[in-house]
Amino acid sequence: MDVRELALQQLKTVIDPELGINVVDLGLIYDLKIEDGHINVLMTLTTPGCPLHDSIAGGVKRVLEQIDGVRDVRVQVTWNPPWTPERMSEDALRQLGHFS
Amino acid sequence: MSNVFPTRTGTETDVRLPFSFIMFAVLAFAASQLMLLGAIPSLSSGAFRLPFVWAAAHLALLGFALMTAMGAMYQLVPVAFLTPIWSERLGFWQFAVTAVGIVAFAVSLAAAPNRAFLPGLLLLFGIILFVWQMAMTLRKQETKTVMTLFVATSLLFLLLTAAAGGLLAFHFFAAKGANNHEVVFGLHVLFGLCGWFTLLIIGFSYKMVPMFSLAHGFSLRPARYVYALYISGIAVAFASLFLRSHAWLAAGAALLMGGFAVFAWHIRAILQKRMKKTLDRPFQFSLAAVAIGLALHVAAFAAIVVGSGRWLGIIVYLFIVGWILFSIIGYLFKIVPFLWWTHRYSEKVGQQHVPTLKQMMNERAVAVQCRLWLAALTLAAVSLATASVPLLAVAQTLLAGLSIAFAGTMLAVFRK
Repeated sequence: MDVRELALQQLKTVIDPELGINVVDLGLIYDLKIEDGHINVLMTLTTPGCPLHDSIAGGVKRVLEQIDGVRDVRVQVTWNPPWTPERMSEDALRQLGHFS
Repeated sequence: MSNVFPTRTGTETDVRLPFSFIMFAVLAFAASQLMLLGAIPSLSSGAFRLPFVWAAAHLALLGFALMTAMGAMYQLVPVAFLTPIWSERLGFWQFAVTAVGIVAFAVSLAAAPNRAFLPGLLLLFGIILFVWQMAMTLRKQETKTVMTLFVATSLLFLLLTAAAGGLLAFHFFAAKGANNHEVVFGLHVLFGLCGWFTLLIIGFSYKMVPMFSLAHGFSLRPARYVYALYISGIAVAFASLFLRSHAWLAAGAALLMGGFAVFAWHIRAILQKRMKKTLDRPFQFSLAAVAIGLALHVAAFAAIVVGSGRWLGIIVYLFIVGWILFSIIGYLFKIVPFLWWTHRYSEKVGQQHVPTLKQMMNERAVAVQCRLWLAALTLAAVSLATASVPLLAVAQTLLAGLSIAFAGTMLAVFRK
């Protein structure tokens, strides 16, 4: 499994504790750049001023640091473009009570 | 890249600060409800203005509602306005001054109302420190929003409520001012219930309702009309007290009702844009409080039009419990687990399995409590309407029991 796949797998373990859905399925990860053991994550949250800002962004950093060969992880949270529900996966929508 | 923030916002508050306020509040709430058990006969006959009832009411409104609002604001203002608290050290001092002030004030009201002025001054000092703290914090907010307008205005009304309350206490202390006592009492109730608590809850609802329902794509424009109508209502009701005009009071109540109706409609419109189909029980409870608030605004307008002072007294009581206290209880069911989760698990995300916020409380127990709160309010309303002492005793016993169960539920979160 390459580092990118591993990284996405790890990110799926970071759960938004309010919604109970992982950050990948929520569509919070905008960009993932991996180069020579350095990972740059560009992500967002469902709302600006989300009180879980530090918990979720910190969790993203910690899970990626656990991957073998990763030397440095940088996480940036942006509100531009803002998150929209269209970014969510079908799994996320199902967990929120859609399609039932 | 524009508009990029570093990983840590640097805006989070030391969790001990909001917790100090909220824990004091939960215990004060249980104490206030137990005290009201002793006042059932006078309450059922519509006699609210008795020293023991004043003490219990102020313990509920100051000890519980005000202290919860202060604690919640120490937590919510930084996240909602992306601005750190101006001085956390001042926050801890403000907690100590306000807590001592409230206890001393409530004891004075029950034991010797004519001496309540002096502890009232200590309480007033605590409130001034809080308003100063929040004003300095809000001043640093880069982009002001409609929420800022609601919260800043509510803080102004908190000061005015305290000033009117201080004047009432001074009337007893100096045995002067009986001529305008009724006017000042009216201002105290109007500023406190509509100006401070209602505007504050409305303001923060615009943050919490979309957040807890994951609503997107709604307009905040109607919030301006809510603000304009509600503030106009307070202003006209304020004028009516000085003019001693029944017509003006009715016009003020109509504007307040209109403002609240637009707010309730707006919340419904926001919820129609939600992504989370099933809402949490505590959040549903806060939404039920909005419906109760709307019904009581309509009832208050009707009572004023027909000129029923007895009904207005009952409506004010139900407004305090059903709109203000229920809103706060519903949001506390969400805020306390969040605060403890942040303290205990925030740094462990990504390192070990952490619970979700829902798992921080016994959801079934919360659901039962929410239903019982609504049942107790309905019972209280029927008993007050029919002036039934036995029914009111049952309702108040239920409310007292629930306030203890609520304190237990909040304290149980710390075991998670």
